[in-house]
Amino acid sequence: MRQRVATLVWRVVLAGVLVGGVGLLPWLTRTDPAYTVLKARSAEREPTPEVLADIRRQLGIDGGPLHVLGGWLGGLVRGDAGQSWISGSDVLPAVLQALGASLLLMGAALLVAVLTAGLICLRTLRLGARRRLGGRRSGGSGSAVLASLPEFLVASVLATVVGVQWGWLPALGWYGPQWTVLPALALGLPAGAVLGRLLDDLLPGAFGEPWALAAAARGLTGRSVARQALRRCVPALLPNLGLFVVGLTGGAVAVEQVFDIPGLGRTTLEAALAQDLPVLQAGTLALVLLAALATGATRLAARLLTGPALRDGALSSLHRPAPPAGGLLPLLYGAVLLAVVGFGLARDPLALDTGERLRGPSLAHPFGTDALGRDLLARVGHGALDTLLLAAAISAAALLAGVLLGLVPRVSAPLVDTVNAVPPVLVALLVTAVAGSGTTTPALAVGAVAWAPLAAHTSSLLRQERATLHITATKGLGAGRVHLLRYELLPAVLPPVLRHALLRLPGVALALASLGFLGLGAQPPSPEWGLLLAENQPYAERAPWAVLAPAAVLALLGALAVGAAGGLRRPARRRPSRAVTEGAAGSGQRPVEAAAKEPAGAR
Amino acid sequence: MRSLRRPRLLAPFLLVPLMAGCFASGGGGDSASGDGGDGDGARLRVALAFPPAENLSPYGADATLLSRLGVTEGLTALDANGSAAPALAESWRRDGEKTWEFTLRDATFQDGSDVTPAAVAASLTRATGAEPAPAALSGVTLSAEAGGDRVVRITTTEPDPVLPLRLSSPSLAILSKDAYGKGNRVDPVGHATGPFELTKVNGATSASLDRFDDYWGGRAQASGIDARFIADGTARANALRTGELDIAEAVPVAQAASLDERNRRDTATTRTTSLLLNASSGTFKDAGLRAAARAALDTSVFAKDVYEGYADAGAGVYGPAVTWAEGKRTAPVGRAAAKKPGSGDTLTLATYDNRPELPEVAQVVKQQWEKAGFTVKLTVREYSRLEGDALDGKFDAFVLARNTLLDTGDPVAVLAGDYTCDGGFNIAQLCDKGVDRAVADAEKTADTAKRQDAAMAAEARILGSDAVVPLVHQRVITGVADSVQGVILDPYERTLVGTGTRR
Repeated sequence: MRQRVATLVWRVVLAGVLVGGVGLLPWLTRTDPAYTVLKARSAEREPTPEVLADIRRQLGIDGGPLHVLGGWLGGLVRGDAGQSWISGSDVLPAVLQALGASLLLMGAALLVAVLTAGLICLRTLRLGARRRLGGRRSGGSGSAVLASLPEFLVASVLATVVGVQWGWLPALGWYGPQWTVLPALALGLPAGAVLGRLLDDLLPGAFGEPWALAAAARGLTGRSVARQALRRCVPALLPNLGLFVVGLTGGAVAVEQVFDIPGLGRTTLEAALAQDLPVLQAGTLALVLLAALATGATRLAARLLTGPALRDGALSSLHRPAPPAGGLLPLLYGAVLLAVVGFGLARDPLALDTGERLRGPSLAHPFGTDALGRDLLARVGHGALDTLLLAAAISAAALLAGVLLGLVPRVSAPLVDTVNAVPPVLVALLVTAVAGSGTTTPALAVGAVAWAPLAAHTSSLLRQERATLHITATKGLGAGRVHLLRYELLPAVLPPVLRHALLRLPGVALALASLGFLGLGAQPPSPEWGLLLAENQPYAERAPWAVLAPAAVLALLGALAVGAAGGLRRPARRRPSRAVTEGAAGSGQRPVEAAAKEPAGAR
Repeated sequence: MRSLRRPRLLAPFLLVPLMAGCFASGGGGDSASGDGGDGDGARLRVALAFPPAENLSPYGADATLLSRLGVTEGLTALDANGSAAPALAESWRRDGEKTWEFTLRDATFQDGSDVTPAAVAASLTRATGAEPAPAALSGVTLSAEAGGDRVVRITTTEPDPVLPLRLSSPSLAILSKDAYGKGNRVDPVGHATGPFELTKVNGATSASLDRFDDYWGGRAQASGIDARFIADGTARANALRTGELDIAEAVPVAQAASLDERNRRDTATTRTTSLLLNASSGTFKDAGLRAAARAALDTSVFAKDVYEGYADAGAGVYGPAVTWAEGKRTAPVGRAAAKKPGSGDTLTLATYDNRPELPEVAQVVKQQWEKAGFTVKLTVREYSRLEGDALDGKFDAFVLARNTLLDTGDPVAVLAGDYTCDGGFNIAQLCDKGVDRAVADAEKTADTAKRQDAAMAAEARILGSDAVVPLVHQRVITGVADSVQGVILDPYERTLVGTGTRR
């Protein structure tokens, strides 16, 4: 009970700090809100001192930040979230309407994501149900490619091809159910691919548990075994699912833009840029509340699924059987990537020739040229180093932070929710406010969010791992906490989290590029990959190769990362060869695990 | 078990009625209902690029939106030559230095009341009191009063030779008494005088308009307009291609090629993209280096390649949309001789990405300068994060797309604002006595033709300083569906739909 109160207090403190931080944003960044509001109202208006003074008076911000914040909070208590600084209309109805549209979009996207994840796991489920999983290497290149596709690219392609050229579904607007299909696909496919990968990663371990063998021996159908295996694995993913729920609600800016959906992502982005504080605060608060709700719901669901077993420490470790060595595929991906970079490095990425713009692939330009006639192969090759080094460094830092914070879920769980709920542009602005707009700021801004899903993943895996019998056994043998952590918990938790981090590596590269418009991150004419994608997006239909080349290398990177990570398993200890086919993880645990199906009350 | 499970699966469908509230209203499906007629009477489906920012207040940027949709009108309008033409005022005359008399035509407001001198005077008086003041009135104090049966007298504290031009600004549109509620709120819905009347506004998403049958200029051919505000240019072009729209405003250059040739109309605009060189600090303080920087540029590639032909090569401050400018242009005065760029100094070149062509232009400039021996560092940001630094002179060079005919409609205003010592928008940081004198001369001239001559003389001095290098004069592409006729392609971007627009 006390813990719960402490967590609640911590959550409220975080939300308060966040809303307060937003309220102080203009004063922290030293950007005059009167100025940004004027520019949002009318970009061409000259910012003369008289005009700015008029706006300041109109907004009532001459009293200073605390006065403004106090007034807003006072109004909030009465259920009045204030008036938008830009339009002067009431904030609450506008934000609620945007939230409604976003929630609907998120719901549809979630449906697509769940279906996608299901499709990705289908093979494992079927093989597992028939107990033929052993010894098969999981696929996953396809899902890794899907996971590394940028949402805005999927959205543009769907809108142009399905919407405009085929005319199957409306390409624009938000007026009824058929308008939800394409945006939901654009958001749901990459998210579903990530979730599917994570689930697919856990499933073989569940199928390898002794109960599955016992169930099969008792003659239960493959279907119900598969259902139980799902039920066994899903709780570890629920926190991440919760993060997606909130992330898709507040962060679907690109998709909202392409399909012209009046959602919360665009609302908060515009408000953040214009420093329209009442709207920004209300939007952020709504997202934080949604995050708290989502967390509560996922926790409840996890408890319903594995509650008694968690409480009684009656789980077994979800270690998938060691797959055969990675195979040739990752090597092939690596070789192709290296070749592209190698050939690209030999060319000039900056030489522009506007007469040669948007040329298709040819001998002179194997990947074609971009809108300024630059060679895309050269740009992809030269961009690789910057992109990869920075993205890898951020991912590594995020992994470290995620695992460390994941170890202390009571502190980190509310933090994860809050950080994840904040729209990315707002995170960037807040980081800029604190750290200034130096060269490290974009990395900090991306890193500040990137650790959250990893921490959530770590702590949910950890919670399950702590409830396993072999931990109880090790404890019983007199192991201390450090020993447990070092030799039992971390080795079990790290590999899946590391694979998760690698899966998100392309996303980190894209996130870096998306901060460019704030003047953070790579600036043109740098050939950074995210920037390549962004600057060629307007030409996606006329010159598909211009976006395909960077998207393809990014996807290749995703596939390579996942393929290479396939080799990262828990260090094998005393692994008899039979255990592989039967699927148990370590022979040392087997006698204990056999008891797992016994009534928990036996302890 | 089965029988229990089924209702559970159906439970989510209880949410369906709730979902309806989560969609955007208006715009979409029902708009096809007006299709029935054979052209006359059909509603027009129009996409505008900028959503209303201030609840359609006429005093800010939303004013242009209202006038483009044919909702509001001022006392005057701009004609093709950039001079004042009659609108709600039939005629006008100057009465002494500071007073003008406007004779109103017989018109009614959309709420049924008559356009009387008192109503017009009240409307203009409200505009003068707006906070912040409309851009067209910056630096001007005027008072309006009824001066007879059909006459409005407008008096300014300082002589204002361009008052009729000024009154053509959309932000000085005339609204009826009922439009002005308590406080600062102004509601144009149903209170304006144009051929189309706003009936419903769905926030920043869409708006519905009906034809105003008693319009003084005759009944409009289209029975109404379904306007949608779609910020993304690709999305606008896509919607036009799928037949969801009749008119799409401002199709980006990159998307033009995806439209059929008969569906795109391009018009010269008063918008000029130019390169501004910081004349008061840094490398370009040296006029010789500015001359070298200008000489190093091959401006022909910008219009032809970067803008794909949807622009005219930069000739001066004013482009071909300012029709009189070309004939009156004189050679730049007082250019310095080009020096050789010294090594070591890094130039900072800045631009913004709100218009996707500008970063491309800046990258071409960068390369051309680097070939000439300059070292260039490029900064690209969102406009509102950049303008302040640019006005403070933090960059050596700036690529700016600027409307050369500001809200005042007066060609001299942009010269005074952008290139004089006291100018409020002097990104080039130019402070040159010759330029200031020439601009002041132009500002004092009342006669239209002479004022234009004086403006061109000032332009020659400004170009001679090499603080500005005009790169292109932009053309705006309007997407128009096959069946649509009578779209107004306005170089001043103040009108789009008129009485003769139909499909």
